[in-house]
Amino acid sequence: MVQPRLLAPLRVLERAFAPTLRTTPQLYQPQSLLQRTFSATPPISKPIPSLRLLPLSHVRHASHASQGQANRHARRPAGKRLGAKRTGGEYVVRGCIIFRQRGTKWFPGENCDMGRDHTIYATEAGYVRYYLDPQKHPDRKFIGIVFDKDGKLPRPRNAPTARKLNKVLAPRREDKFAPASDLITAAQPAATGDAASGPQLRPGYMYREANWQIGRAAEKAGVTTKPFNRKNRWVAWRKRQAKRERGAQMRSLRGKDKSKKKAKKGKGGR
Amino acid sequence: MAHCERASKPLLQCLRSTYVRGFTGLQVQSTRAFQSSAAPCEEAQTESKPKKQSFYDNPDPNLASSPKVERKLMRQGIMPVGSRRRRAALQHSSNIPFEHLPFQCFQEARKVLLADREEKLKEIESVRQKLSRLQSLSAEEAGGEQSRKSRIVALEMRLERLKILADINDPIVKKRFEDGLGDMNKPIYRYLADQKWREYRRKILVQRITQMRVIPDVLANCDPVVDTKLYFGKRAIQPGDFVNSMVTTNPPKLDVQMFERGQKLVTIAVVDPDVPNVEKDGYDYKMHYFAVNVPISPTSTKINLAELSADSQVVLPWVPPVAQKGSPYHRLSMFILEQRDSKPLDFAAVKAKETVRENMTLRALQTRYLLKPIGAHLFRTQWDENTLEVMKQIGFPEPDLELRTKRVEPLPYKRRNPSTFR
Repeated sequence: MVQPRLLAPLRVLERAFAPTLRTTPQLYQPQSLLQRTFSATPPISKPIPSLRLLPLSHVRHASHASQGQANRHARRPAGKRLGAKRTGGEYVVRGCIIFRQRGTKWFPGENCDMGRDHTIYATEAGYVRYYLDPQKHPDRKFIGIVFDKDGKLPRPRNAPTARKLNKVLAPRREDKFAPASDLITAAQPAATGDAASGPQLRPGYMYREANWQIGRAAEKAGVTTKPFNRKNRWVAWRKRQAKRERGAQMRSLRGKDKSKKKAKKGKGGR
Repeated sequence: MAHCERASKPLLQCLRSTYVRGFTGLQVQSTRAFQSSAAPCEEAQTESKPKKQSFYDNPDPNLASSPKVERKLMRQGIMPVGSRRRRAALQHSSNIPFEHLPFQCFQEARKVLLADREEKLKEIESVRQKLSRLQSLSAEEAGGEQSRKSRIVALEMRLERLKILADINDPIVKKRFEDGLGDMNKPIYRYLADQKWREYRRKILVQRITQMRVIPDVLANCDPVVDTKLYFGKRAIQPGDFVNSMVTTNPPKLDVQMFERGQKLVTIAVVDPDVPNVEKDGYDYKMHYFAVNVPISPTSTKINLAELSADSQVVLPWVPPVAQKGSPYHRLSMFILEQRDSKPLDFAAVKAKETVRENMTLRALQTRYLLKPIGAHLFRTQWDENTLEVMKQIGFPEPDLELRTKRVEPLPYKRRNPSTFR
């Protein structure tokens, strides 16, 4: 709001520039006059440019970001220890891990295989070779095992496979042939039940029995307990007594700890 | 066969309504397989019992539609032709020959095809004349031996192509091929059979022999061009199938279908590349069967390995394959190898030279006798409930031993680069 004291010079200004408007009755209404004066002024009194830009130039000074992030180290996880575990030419035995990787940077070549997390491991004992096999695949890199120290990979496409037996002769044991059909007949459930009771691969990659089987372990072992009889007050008293004793023991232990701490504090204070 | 008759009713009604029996004379002309079915209904009505008896005694493979009669035919070695539904429909049809089917569009289309065939036959004649002229010319007149040869080969190829093109659009040819009545002496039926084989069965065979690594292990390469089927007794074996060791005690039968003209002399070999050798810590080869100078042609396809002549063909007779317990499965790969220029090998010399089955490789034989693999088959065998019995039968050494996996000694723990340990 423009104060009435200011109105007088404004009126003079108005008189100077627009004398025709003097006669109009609206002149004496302060609000409308103010609007008109403002609309009339721009060509004469040049507005300051900074005033116009004011709402856009919101500058935030280095006060917020410079304080740092609360949990900056979350973006730097621990290393996963990936990469080559065995170099080319090194001797490995069966099952030896050669390369740990995320995805298939390397593919298993001769006498190698890939684990469930794409780890390359040896399936035969021999010497590690890192190689390319353009005839097998134009882009892939392979890891293979050769039996001779100076063996070469890739081998020619039409050469017979080099393989090892890795077996020893031993006296023959009894056969266990699988039934010819996997259809379950009426006589078989007992057998299948036995098979199910054994340890199997369960969630978490561990071989163990099912939870319901673990729950029935006591029953299986023939462990018997007396049925609960609420009228037998002797047993009830003994249980209660045992509980009380246990409670007292715990309390005494806690008390000891507290007293120790207090004692320490007291010593320090003095 | 109520359901067959029901299914074929619309077709019959169509035939009856459009035609009022005027084709008895035409039936005599037609050389197609339908002719023997000449209106069996009428005959049955007129001379009832003796004729019917004769049908069951001597059933027609074009008309037999009851399973009992079909089985009887099959026992005689004759397969019923086409589908049972079609055979049932033919029993009661008026047997119009295929060429005279009363459909205008069909007849117009046939005219076009016949005109095309005439054109092709003329072209064949002209190519034949050209060929004979070229063959009569000497090398100097034809502009060099090399060009003469290449031109002759090109013309021969063109001729073969034209022979196929002349017949390939003929519906009767197609029908006869699908009914299994095609004559394998004719190029068109050989061509159709080859196409059918390459469509699926050859692909399966090639996949099996390459995936199971028979191809680099036994032979360097093989491009099968003959269709090979393997039977133990009556059972057909798919390429790569596991076969019980009791079944393989007797040698198999082969059905080798050639798709080229003429006769060939082939060598048949069955090799096992998976014989375990504990001393060597590896695998050996063993030749289970080896026969030379076996003739095959597009029409004579059956080969019984047990019945080949021991004096002139079988070099090493069949030995039943057995897989020791604990050994990986054995691949029994069968190869059909063409002898060079279809010339017979000297049986006595081969027999004198090839006596040891163990470690006889097919690669060595291939180079020694100039053989070219044209067909392959594969079956597998492993330790099963009958293997011990078969081992005792054939006198296998040490049947009471088995192969067990060697224990792996872990590598000694090596502390690596301790300076970087934190």
